[in-house]
Amino acid sequence: MGEKEKIIEQALSEGRNTLSEYESKRLLHAYDIPVTNEVLVRGYDDFKGAIQKVGFPLVIKACAPDLAHKTEQGLVRVDIRNEEEAQQAYEEIMLKVQGSGGGILVQEMVKGHRELMVGMTRDAQFGPCVMFGLGGIFTEILKDVVFRVAPIERKDALEMTREIKAHKILGEVRGMPPADIDELVRILINVGQMGLDHEPIKEVDINPLILSGSKPIAADALVVLAPPT
Amino acid sequence: MPHALSPETLLIPGGYMPEAKLLENLKYLFNPRTVAVIGASDNPNKLGAHVMKSLTQGGFEGRILPVNPSAKTIMGIEAMGSVVDSSIPIDLAVVVVPAQFVPAVFEQCVSKNVRGIVLITAGFKEIDDPQGAKLQEKVRRLATKAAIPVIGPNTFGMINLNRNLNASFTPQFSLLQKGKLTLVSQSGGMSHLLAFMAMKQEVGFSKVVGLGNRLNVDFPDMVSYLMEDPDTEVIMLYLEGLDQPRRLLEAASRGRGKKPIIAYKTGRAESGDRASLSHTGSLAGNHDIYRGGFRQAGILCLDSSEALLDTARAMLMCPPPKGRKVAILSGQAGPAMAAGDFCEANGLEIAAFDSGTQKVINELLPPLALRTNPVDLGPAWYDARAIAGIVGAVMEDKNVDAILLLMMFASANRGAIASVSDLALRWKQQKPLITCLAAPQGIWEKQVKELEQSGALTNLPTPERAAQALVNLWEYRKIMEK
Repeated sequence: MGEKEKIIEQALSEGRNTLSEYESKRLLHAYDIPVTNEVLVRGYDDFKGAIQKVGFPLVIKACAPDLAHKTEQGLVRVDIRNEEEAQQAYEEIMLKVQGSGGGILVQEMVKGHRELMVGMTRDAQFGPCVMFGLGGIFTEILKDVVFRVAPIERKDALEMTREIKAHKILGEVRGMPPADIDELVRILINVGQMGLDHEPIKEVDINPLILSGSKPIAADALVVLAPPT
Repeated sequence: MPHALSPETLLIPGGYMPEAKLLENLKYLFNPRTVAVIGASDNPNKLGAHVMKSLTQGGFEGRILPVNPSAKTIMGIEAMGSVVDSSIPIDLAVVVVPAQFVPAVFEQCVSKNVRGIVLITAGFKEIDDPQGAKLQEKVRRLATKAAIPVIGPNTFGMINLNRNLNASFTPQFSLLQKGKLTLVSQSGGMSHLLAFMAMKQEVGFSKVVGLGNRLNVDFPDMVSYLMEDPDTEVIMLYLEGLDQPRRLLEAASRGRGKKPIIAYKTGRAESGDRASLSHTGSLAGNHDIYRGGFRQAGILCLDSSEALLDTARAMLMCPPPKGRKVAILSGQAGPAMAAGDFCEANGLEIAAFDSGTQKVINELLPPLALRTNPVDLGPAWYDARAIAGIVGAVMEDKNVDAILLLMMFASANRGAIASVSDLALRWKQQKPLITCLAAPQGIWEKQVKELEQSGALTNLPTPERAAQALVNLWEYRKIMEK
């Protein structure tokens, strides 16, 4: 069994219907999709080591399966710049997640003003479909998204990047470099492949996919599973 | 677990007929030599009477066999009690008997080796009572096992104008002109509407097909058939929802580039799964997935019945534009602005003329007119030489990929239609030319109709609709790029 199957099988064997952020990103990484540099810790000693490894500024998040929409629950601290801030964030979040079997994710702080979203959903009729759109807080407000049916080709992925209403943010805007379109295309094709390869994956959310300079990086991710019936 | 496979379904993969046999029998269904009307009647309160009217008044040249056990003749034609009594083979049976009699009728059709059936009768899967779905499955098995393609049930029928075949309950479908457009529709209402629009615009059709409940002939089967149908050049689809949309995508992909497929899909209000844990799931509206999937398969999605017909007409007439640069030549400034706004908002560019073209325009138009693109030809309408010079130069301009020619009638420009005709006839759509030549009833109509019939132009009633048709030609061209 490859790493991809192992991640999915473990979650299914525990009766879960989601992968944690950390597991989701390991799966994305296995599909050659760039993710944030991060360390999952369970105790304070590991935490100090993780801070050293990731480096400031960083993000601290609660990490457990079945933990979607973390920001709304106050389980995310961003732009942490020193050990004091880190320790405070650690204690506050630990208090909230205690007993849930989760851990703390120490994550590099990706700098970028442009937040995109890539997703996969298994439609009852069409099967795996790929989504691309505007990410972050605008996802639900503007609903600026487009879909294709997997598998998608390079041409389809390119069209998707041009088809969203806000497609101009992928260009050279306000002193920011143009997005690496080849990399975006690869991410879209591969996320469709995830759906084709693994029947138990029901949905994939990469939101936000932040443009760090020109490079897209998955800053948060969620994989939803549907146990085979 | 999948259902246990009966020997019957094993013979019919996926419950569908082997494609070759189906396509072969569809040829007979659409081009029959003999049509039986099962449930034919003289009583105008019965659909059987309307179907008989459609067939007899529509000018069908083959044999019409009314079937009704309690009548000697129907509409002056000798009737028979059952298809099995017929001494000649039957290619098509149009069935209008009440739902409960359909299984027995189908068994008779099978034993008579009928090639195809149009099942107009309602009362199957579309009704609330689960008995309807059961009955549908029963007749589906009967027909499919015998490789008989069935249009319907719960349909108005179908019309093949090139065979003068009106196998529907609306005799007026025969008023449609013969042409190269084929409409395949999930809705009887939309089929009637589009046909009436086409009659008013004098647009010709090859076929109008109401698929109804799609017993064993579905959109993908029709797309495969029409791709090989010499009478059809543009395939128009109206649909609301499909059970197996991937089959349609596959059929369209197989025919990609052969003939344009354009689709109007309604039902966009249906939204994603609100209970979904992910953003992707909750945003995944069925309509958006259709749009994306159709594009991948080379099907152009349109947003109104008007756009469906306008675009079909333009596709029949015009070559695809090589690029996005449009020239707008107008008799008046306002319509040019309206068309220009629509083009620019929808992905077309207003072309910058070549210096040679601009020089010609500057020489032939007085400085008070708009002389760059859009060009206000107003002051030149009295001067056939000026119009020919300007339009000719713009048509030849290498910076121009397509032309919109707009002219609103005024008493003083009445004669300008002659210059436009000469140019359009000589130009013969070397680049797409779409016009809005608008006038009161009875003026210019004859000339415009002749131009359309000779393949010189597509004329639409407003500048915005002319622009929209051009935008759609360009969208289709982009979809076809590999």
